[in-house]
Amino acid sequence: MTQTIPIEFEGATLRARPGETLAATLTAHGVQDFRTTASGQPRGVFCGMGVCQDCLVEVDGVANRRACMTKIEKPISVRRGAHGRPLIAPSPSAGVNVSGAFTGTDEPELREPELLVIGAGPGGLSAALFAQRAGVGVTVLDERSQAGGQYYKQLGVSEQGVLPADAQHRRGAALIDAARKAGVQIIADAPVWGAFEPKEFIATVRGRSIRFRPAACIVAAGAYERGWQVPGWTLPGVMTTGAAQTLWRTSRRLPGQRVLIAGNGPLNLQLAAELLSGGATVAAVVEAAPAPGLGSLDSLLTMGLAAPALVAEGVGYLRTVKRHGVRIVNDTVIESIEKVAGGLSVTLAHVSGATLTQRIEVDVVCLGYGFEPANELLRALGCVHDFDPRRRQLATRRDETGLTSIAGVYALGDCTGLGGAKAALAEGVVVGAAVAAALGHAPAETLMHERARAVNELARQRRFQHALWNVYASPLTAPRERCGDTVICRCEEVTFAQLDAALDEGLSTAGAIKRRTRIGMGRCQGRYCAPVLDEIVCERFGRSRDEMSGFAPRVPVKPVTIAELSGRGSGS
Amino acid sequence: MSPIRIDELPCRQTDVAVIGGGIVGLCLAGFLAQRGRAVTLIDAGGSSASTANAGSLHVQMQSRFMRLFPQRVAGFEQQLPLYPRAVEYWREFERDIGADFEMKVSGGLMVAETPEQFEFLVTKSRRERELGLSVELLERGDLERIAPYLGPAAYGAELCANEGKLNPLRCNAQVRAWAVRLGVTIVDRCKVERLCAISPGFTLATTLGSLQARQVAVAAGPGARALMDSVGAFLPVEPEPLHMNITEAAPPLILHLVQHAERSITLKQLSTGQVVIGGGWPAKLAPGSDYPVVDPASLIGNVSLAQYMVPSLAQLQIIRTWAGLNSKVDGRGVLGEMPGLPGLHAAIPGDAGYTLGPLTARLVADLMTGRDPGVDMQPYSPMRLQEEELRALAGQ
Repeated sequence: MTQTIPIEFEGATLRARPGETLAATLTAHGVQDFRTTASGQPRGVFCGMGVCQDCLVEVDGVANRRACMTKIEKPISVRRGAHGRPLIAPSPSAGVNVSGAFTGTDEPELREPELLVIGAGPGGLSAALFAQRAGVGVTVLDERSQAGGQYYKQLGVSEQGVLPADAQHRRGAALIDAARKAGVQIIADAPVWGAFEPKEFIATVRGRSIRFRPAACIVAAGAYERGWQVPGWTLPGVMTTGAAQTLWRTSRRLPGQRVLIAGNGPLNLQLAAELLSGGATVAAVVEAAPAPGLGSLDSLLTMGLAAPALVAEGVGYLRTVKRHGVRIVNDTVIESIEKVAGGLSVTLAHVSGATLTQRIEVDVVCLGYGFEPANELLRALGCVHDFDPRRRQLATRRDETGLTSIAGVYALGDCTGLGGAKAALAEGVVVGAAVAAALGHAPAETLMHERARAVNELARQRRFQHALWNVYASPLTAPRERCGDTVICRCEEVTFAQLDAALDEGLSTAGAIKRRTRIGMGRCQGRYCAPVLDEIVCERFGRSRDEMSGFAPRVPVKPVTIAELSGRGSGS
Repeated sequence: MSPIRIDELPCRQTDVAVIGGGIVGLCLAGFLAQRGRAVTLIDAGGSSASTANAGSLHVQMQSRFMRLFPQRVAGFEQQLPLYPRAVEYWREFERDIGADFEMKVSGGLMVAETPEQFEFLVTKSRRERELGLSVELLERGDLERIAPYLGPAAYGAELCANEGKLNPLRCNAQVRAWAVRLGVTIVDRCKVERLCAISPGFTLATTLGSLQARQVAVAAGPGARALMDSVGAFLPVEPEPLHMNITEAAPPLILHLVQHAERSITLKQLSTGQVVIGGGWPAKLAPGSDYPVVDPASLIGNVSLAQYMVPSLAQLQIIRTWAGLNSKVDGRGVLGEMPGLPGLHAAIPGDAGYTLGPLTARLVADLMTGRDPGVDMQPYSPMRLQEEELRALAGQ
């Protein structure tokens, strides 16, 4: 048995695994309720990746820390988050000048790397590695404590006594290692909170702001899961598929013992197989798409030809799920979730609208209803985006080298519109090569062969992805009933009824409705409500969605403390 | 449900057209409707003045304006008596329309950190008292008692009891709803491209067609300049893009509207618990547009100063920043009929335009309906601008 670290939580002592997240420790000890909102509602882990700002707890007296982004390295004292917790008085040693006139701001440190890559997922790392090998000086920033992104989710805890790393972990570790060895500077725990024209970024690194003015940059910020706005979707115990997968893949902790997984897409199947391997009971996998039948044969064939390894992985997950006797319920979605004595009670509905009579009781519900691109930095820079009606999201306008509408600003992977991790890997090579050339470096011949292979691989992965979308096409892409007391905006607790009232007052733009109802004004910056609001407003007024129809991007794209901005922190 | 399409004006004729749907335009439209006029209010949207306002109720002279525009101090002084009345009028207006603006008149502090800065406040307060303002000076000990949240750097302050704050989001929404209840026709997302004088009245060429009005009020902030220009009138309003920050919620901490004797800042806590930090750090205008965008140097500078003044803000997170437009002329508002263009009125409130909004709207409504405003309107008359223009032309 490995050493554990004691965590004080509301008077109890919990045993944390070194390197796991605080969210994982609390979850493993049966804690689902992490904080209460302004209106007194309980909240817990939802996105598990630092986006939703719902798992806020007080750590050693500092309020509003994200449990999912807090890595356990030493004993800490934790309390549930509460609205408007008192501020701690600054210590005299906090670096704040005690008297006399304010003498101005400390200029943040300025760094000018040749190439700045934002996001250390498969796409960002592969681009960084290629460019560095071609002679470019590359710095990579990532918000998480470990590189790898959401696909490679590196194991943060010791392998002793837990299921060891699998092939997906190991491929990620190898890529991270190769990038480091090639000389790429990877800066972890470095959230980029601002992007400014023409191509400047500001990140918080060890409690201070650093400005980056690179000669070129690649934004590879990935994606986050969409919400599924049904009654009960904000309850503790309801989390995204990615959040549950992060608990398991980084900390080897289960989100709960009895789990229902619902959504649309193959990741849900992978999660089911992983949780089963960890000993959880999966009540069912509820899939909005129909079961693949004869009609999908063409698509399945295309997938098999384009990416046989991925298809084999998928078949493996399916086998595991079937072997454990887990039901896969197709053409079905979650209609509502209710808190009951023993956990959560879930009501399902057929995509046609008919409610299923049988309710399912579980500890945890995972929602995996697709993704939204994390394009906020690109939008803040003013890169042109087009609305993709098929995927219901903005796609970054780029040429075949990944160059956006702004000189020197490149983008790749899921933040530009979804393509999957394998496509991002190949795209990284293509974009890395283009950036290296644009910066005046001539890659060696072997590297150019690699690039040629990546071009083919990218084409294959895109064929695979299109076929995959065909297989998973569902007639229902949003909850049927978006009305009443169901929350649309998690942060400000705005309901669909409040939105309807604002529309009835004649307000006709997302911005006006935001100012009227506070929708999207919270810590998460409208990550979950904004696309839904935009869709509803555009539908009502017969407009098509575009980059101007939703909220204007705002900095900071993630909350940042005043101490981190001023560089005069109490902790640094 | 079939989509609602807004692609033409709901009417082609109106008694009064109000251009601009900010706090001044909304109030003015409501007052005119109360007096029996058929009012159409046209708003281009995308403006960032009232919709971006941070909710300070200003009364004492802002050190920022005095520092940046010393040649306009005489103008500020002429407008000064309107400010305390404007704050009182906000309260009266809130009661009259049965609204809740989350208004708090808990006083405003202008903080000095050095004896020299304090000396500046001594001189400023003397002049303000001469002009009828109620202000007092606080030394360190007194200041600590009423504002324990201030850090050790605070040396003294000027307190103006009738300063305060409100929630501009709530104000805008409730004033809009009131105007609609009174029968004002509001046309959103419609831009007036030019004005044309006909006799009697005006034709407005808009992006949704043309509209005829007997009277026109221009409450379009910085947009007023081009509109007036289209009809041959001179109204030199300049946009001043400014930066604002808001934090997550904190428990009640900062009672006052806090400013600085020498540096640009306003700092206050809203009823949500969020702290709004702004007060004149510059934003930029997006290239080729009148849309203001955030400058990171202002974000860092503004919140660093806030932390210096109120050290316990250090751990609070900034969750959003935005930029808005202040409208500047010459230190005074421009309120009233444009010379030589009967029926065309300017409604530009002047610096701290949100504070002055409802009161100046009422004054203009009085002028437009032939009532006595009860205030000498001569200092705010657009006539002075014509004189300025003539002088400029003569000098060429």
